Amino acid sequence: MELLPQALIDGMMLGGIYITIAIGFSLVYGVMHIIDFAVGEWIMLGAFMGFYLNQWSGLDPFLLLPVVFLCFALVGYLLQPVIHRVVSGRQGNPLLMGLVFTFGLALMFRGIALTSFGFFSHSIPSAFSSKSFFYEHGEFFVTVSGIRLAGLVYALLIAGALHWLLKKTNFGLGVRALAQNRDAAALMGVDGKRISSYVYGIYVGISAMTGVLIGSILSVSAQMGPNYTIVAFFVVVLAGMGYLAGVPWAAFLLGLVQSFFLIYLDPGLTMLAVFVILFTILLVSPRGLFAKGV
Amino acid sequence: MRNKIISWSILAVIAMSVVPLFVSDTFVLRILTEAIMWIGLAIAFDVLAGYTGYLNFGHGAFFGIGAYSTAILMVQANWPFVMALFAGAVITALCALAAGFPTLRLRGAYFAIATWALSLAIQQLALILTITGGPDGMRLPALLNPLYFFYFMLGAVTTTFFLFWFLLEHAPFGLKLKAIREDELGAQSLGLNPTRLKIQAFVLSAVPTGILGGIYAYWITFIDPASTLSDLVSDQALVMVVFGGMGTLIGPVIGAVLIFAFKTVFWAYLSDFQLLYLIILGAVIALCVVFLPNGLWGTIITRNGGNGGMKKSRMIGPKRNQKNADKTQKLAGALKDCVQKEGGE
Repeated sequence: MELLPQALIDGMMLGGIYITIAIGFSLVYGVMHIIDFAVGEWIMLGAFMGFYLNQWSGLDPFLLLPVVFLCFALVGYLLQPVIHRVVSGRQGNPLLMGLVFTFGLALMFRGIALTSFGFFSHSIPSAFSSKSFFYEHGEFFVTVSGIRLAGLVYALLIAGALHWLLKKTNFGLGVRALAQNRDAAALMGVDGKRISSYVYGIYVGISAMTGVLIGSILSVSAQMGPNYTIVAFFVVVLAGMGYLAGVPWAAFLLGLVQSFFLIYLDPGLTMLAVFVILFTILLVSPRGLFAKGV
Repeated sequence: MRNKIISWSILAVIAMSVVPLFVSDTFVLRILTEAIMWIGLAIAFDVLAGYTGYLNFGHGAFFGIGAYSTAILMVQANWPFVMALFAGAVITALCALAAGFPTLRLRGAYFAIATWALSLAIQQLALILTITGGPDGMRLPALLNPLYFFYFMLGAVTTTFFLFWFLLEHAPFGLKLKAIREDELGAQSLGLNPTRLKIQAFVLSAVPTGILGGIYAYWITFIDPASTLSDLVSDQALVMVVFGGMGTLIGPVIGAVLIFAFKTVFWAYLSDFQLLYLIILGAVIALCVVFLPNGLWGTIITRNGGNGGMKKSRMIGPKRNQKNADKTQKLAGALKDCVQKEGGE
């Protein structure tokens, strides 16, 4: 029982990271109707870029975030036209084609990373890693590591920035219009292709930044991709596909489930529990916890 | 075209079944058996991916469920092979029903995600249970008769192929599935019940996969989560189907033969570069989707004026191709007829 506050805090911290994994993914689904199977691989590639940049320059990973964001946003911006071509072809079921395409990309990225970076796992040193806060009250005690707290702050900042971008700017208005109805938005003068490219770039950039963060909180390895892809999927299904406001709650829920399994039950069962929850949610409320998905 | 394909398939099966008379090398026989198994896995995958338009990333899980249930029944309960295989098929069908019911009511994305989560969950389950032997895997009683397995595998895959041919290309069932793939709402408005049809297609795709898994387990005599439950089974099936041509029956066969031949050569001569295989698989999928979206076979038949595979014909809007438009009208008429005949589902 004395571990309960610790489990809660750990779950919240983990959930914070999951927000940034899933939020871009959900945005891309809402705007472009693409399920990106490569989300975990973007995280992995970003983490490796952070790792090598950190080794080369010696700067703190938190200072490297903007560089990683810009590089990967450019990659995403340049890649989007190819994806657009895939999903708007004359083949039946464009969603399927997009899924198959990003799946191929994910396999390729993983193979390339395993070949060039090897199987070993690394971690990115940060100034925050050594700090931690300890709080004791009666029989309860909580340890909060500085880096995890910094991660949570970063996640909330990203979520806030995205909220501002979508709700307060003209660009965000265009994005929301595009998500509602592509053709009508085009008639109103929204440049669908360009906005989709920006959105995809933002999503890839956020994922890569999250990778750097995961690299300094947990670890970096070439096989880490699929673990985070499944997290993104789970959070987005739980929140409702394309419903951004549900993402933080779903992410916190997944974080709590994971930390409770880690502390109280067998960590080997986590995937099984995740599947059971997913299954139940799909059975009871197919459009997510808030029934607001697409 | 259709009769031609049927006669060529029968010829190919006869040719395959006399091969052991001339080839006594067990290595060649083993390669052929595995190639036949992959053909079966690829066409089973295509029922859902190509015809219905739903990606099943749990294909490997059903292969593993078939393999493990056959193995457990043979080792723990001492059942004979054929009975265990039959029970394995029933178990696979039940698993597909249970997994399909909540996920197939929804659109494609949810299904792909849920089946992937299912395959990960089954992998974990096999690793922690004691009845499956955990990470050490299971050993089955050995039957050292390569010919027996060659013919068993050939028989199973041939039966599957002709059953699928009848159901998907001859009977209206295939037409209904294609209607769901093209436009689910439209299919519903014609009086079809998409959820029920999708679950039927899912079970139809899972059962042969489970049976092939069972045969594989008895043939190799050793199974562990890494060999039967890993994502590689689904990944390879996907590559074969996409490369050969989705939404056709011949495409996956061609894809399976080519990719498997490539894999065999690759592992034989380039085994130092195992990771390269992953890159090549990924690159083949991605390039195929961009430059050859109909796959090899789909490109051939659409070039000859056919209306098969994943090619979408226009029903409304400018009629760029009168011949195709007429064909589509005819297909839509046939679909309507078959729905009316059954009095709506």
